[in-house]
Amino acid sequence: MADLGRAALVVTLGLAVYSLVAGGIAARRNERRLAASARNALYCSFASTLVAAAVLATALVRHDFSFRYVAAHTNRHLPTAYTLSAFWGGQEGSLLLWLLVLTGYGALAVAINRRLLRDLTAWVVPVIGGIATFFSFVLVAVASPFDTQTAPFDGAGLTPSLQNPYMVAHPPMLYLGYVGLSVPFAFAAGALLSGRTDERWIVATRRWTLAAWAFLGLGQLLGAHWAYVEVGWGGYYAWDPVENAALMPWLAATAFLHSVMVQERKGMLKVWNMVLVALAFELSVFGTFLTRSGVVNSIHSFAKSSIGPWFLAFVVISSVFSLALIMWRLPLLKAKTKLESALSREAAFLYNNLLLVALCLTILWGVLFPIVTQLVKGETRTIGRPYYDFFLRTFGLPLLLLMGIGPLVAWRKTSLRALTRTLAWPIAAAAVTGIVLVVAGAGSSSPGLIAYTFSAFALATIAVELVRGTRATGSLFTLVSRNRRRYGGYVVHASVVLLAIGIAGSSAYSSSVERRLALGQSMTLAGYTLTNRGVTVDPKPNVTETRAHLDVTGRWRGSISSGDNQYVNPPEPSREVGIRTDWLRGEDLYVIVDESHAKTGVVFVQVLVKPLVNLIWVAGIVFLFGSMVALWPDAREQRRLVARLAPASP
Amino acid sequence: MLLVAAVVVLVALPFLREPIATDDRLDAPSDAEARRLTLVEERDRALAALKELEFDHRTGKVDDADYRELVGPLRQAAAVALRSLDPPQE
Amino acid sequence: MPTRSPARLVVALAVAGVLAIFLLYTAVAGHSTPTLTPSEIQGKSGKLQVVGTVVGKLHGDSHGASGLQFQLVDPQGHGGKRVDVVYRGSSPPPLFKVGRSVVVSGTYAHGRLQGTDIVTKCPSKYTASPS
Repeated sequence: MADLGRAALVVTLGLAVYSLVAGGIAARRNERRLAASARNALYCSFASTLVAAAVLATALVRHDFSFRYVAAHTNRHLPTAYTLSAFWGGQEGSLLLWLLVLTGYGALAVAINRRLLRDLTAWVVPVIGGIATFFSFVLVAVASPFDTQTAPFDGAGLTPSLQNPYMVAHPPMLYLGYVGLSVPFAFAAGALLSGRTDERWIVATRRWTLAAWAFLGLGQLLGAHWAYVEVGWGGYYAWDPVENAALMPWLAATAFLHSVMVQERKGMLKVWNMVLVALAFELSVFGTFLTRSGVVNSIHSFAKSSIGPWFLAFVVISSVFSLALIMWRLPLLKAKTKLESALSREAAFLYNNLLLVALCLTILWGVLFPIVTQLVKGETRTIGRPYYDFFLRTFGLPLLLLMGIGPLVAWRKTSLRALTRTLAWPIAAAAVTGIVLVVAGAGSSSPGLIAYTFSAFALATIAVELVRGTRATGSLFTLVSRNRRRYGGYVVHASVVLLAIGIAGSSAYSSSVERRLALGQSMTLAGYTLTNRGVTVDPKPNVTETRAHLDVTGRWRGSISSGDNQYVNPPEPSREVGIRTDWLRGEDLYVIVDESHAKTGVVFVQVLVKPLVNLIWVAGIVFLFGSMVALWPDAREQRRLVARLAPASP
Repeated sequence: MLLVAAVVVLVALPFLREPIATDDRLDAPSDAEARRLTLVEERDRALAALKELEFDHRTGKVDDADYRELVGPLRQAAAVALRSLDPPQE
Repeated sequence: MPTRSPARLVVALAVAGVLAIFLLYTAVAGHSTPTLTPSEIQGKSGKLQVVGTVVGKLHGDSHGASGLQFQLVDPQGHGGKRVDVVYRGSSPPPLFKVGRSVVVSGTYAHGRLQGTDIVTKCPSKYTASPS
């Protein structure tokens, strides 16, 4: 069976090379049949990758430990869900998943667009072929999932602390996002290679980019939630390189999503958009490199592996290729219009892009810093949390404000007079909110207060837009269905605002204290009084659960337990924190039991109160909803597109 | 082995279907077509901008003074785009 | 109508502003800590981070006055240099144990690291079950 898997991957490699080479020649020489052949090769590469994936999945389900990969990542006791999710749990499997999604997305994108965008698609095929060549090469020659061995009786199971639903959902969602960014990249490169000056590639890939971006965003939120409830240090984001590896392409993609709107409407920012889409793509591959190569210290440590240099080489080569392509086609990318006013929608998008890219590059610098210092000074220096927090505030808060102002500014220019009139209500709402908050005590943190006030402002502007729009069109539903992108976008903005409020509340206004509590002793924090009622030790077949129990009075009456689990097989501990969510107030009481002594009942606890943290998860749901609205297919738009692109009747 | 055979067939398919191609040219749009597409995009862009301005004016985002200032050039641009797409009067 | 729009100027200024903030911050606040292995740490002092594998017996309690004491060696096992660590604060993360790869932050002086923070790397996700 492993032979079939290996053969399938070799076939994929061959097909990828063929679609790269033949596709390139066909596009260059305008040969229809060769182009169709290369296209077929791309479709077949998906099929053969699917075969390879099926082989691995079958081996996993069958517990075929002659596969080194299966033996290394599953055992007989493992629940089926985790046996299946082990597909992407290890390096080789995750690369196979990447290739599968890449060929799948690529084949689909090409198939959909092959008639309307013939010459463009002809160039997209070799670009995707090139990327697929790299990944299939790595899978065939460097990190194969189909290495075999004499089958041991049982394999190595997943550590219990990783056996939770997040393990099943978080990685595939991120991959659908990462890989999805190759589609707009391929189309952009295709547009440059085909030498045309129109914006078809943007229109064709609009939904792909949006979907990939949404997956990437949701995947990150899932990861944050996982960290919060399972890892249990009281936070949800640690600016760890692997976390940043997903954030950076997401920020670049966010900037791209906005600036293409400018290019579509005004024919401006063409070069900028090309650079951005290439940046987003390179960052997504680079992110995989960071995660998998072990080149920077991270809490998500995957073993240092041999694929590192290959990935680095690919990023370098594809970056050089993209830059060369852009420079070569620079004359075609001349802007059609100029920026006329610093107070216009175009300018607002520019500022938005500037801030997003600045944040992205700042994070990139922070991630690369240890590597750079090692190379330059011979000494590794790491940049700490304060750096990231500072720049998140410096660039994020203005972004929050801009999210409110931008939609209310008209294209080309808006007079200051008109703007102040439109902004009157939101500014008033923000001012009132600010005053109320200061009275309520939120003045303890300036960034927090600013974040809240800006958030109120942004939410008010969204409300204003919705109210005005509904008044003009008659019904909210008509309004939204006629302008899905815009109003879906507003909903997404609202989700980002909720996210900002959640982050501000849970960081700027959180309280935390560490105490040693003897049996019966109490402590107080932020209106909660906790009393130590003792420690229980509960031995179960595979796990011993130690829990400290605390009675809570004050803001809430009840009981909360926290402690750790000691698993038997394999012998690993995991922290089990106690979280009590107050949905009305949106705050969490978070209890970490550091150390507990069952005999004496003494516990060392760390108690945190995190206001509004649950808005972050609510924001995720709103984000999902908004993305779906924006993605919703529009029959009218499709018809218009066909009319535009179909060749003129003779 | 079956896999390889199937693949080879599929890949070669376009050639097998038309062993002798009367017209092997990739239907790349001609230069005239490309120009037309660019003009069509211009037209659609101008019309969409006009529509958006009207909507913004109706919802109060753009006040009367600004509207009067902005609508003229936009109407002109739309007119130019529409005219350039008309077949030449001959 | 002026031929040069002021908009370009505003954007250019904005870019310059962002760059200035960045450079100013990194110059003034810096906030980078050296991250060293036990063999690299000899002769250094001050605030730093040590990356290494935990060896030897663990003595004491992080909550106690004399803290939790252990030693670190190079992560790959090269070099025989050991670093004595005294860690005080909340209990180390649950995954902390002898043989694990960790990063300890603190102040190094007189051959001893006074640790204030420990980060454990996720262990190999997969562990062999006894057959």
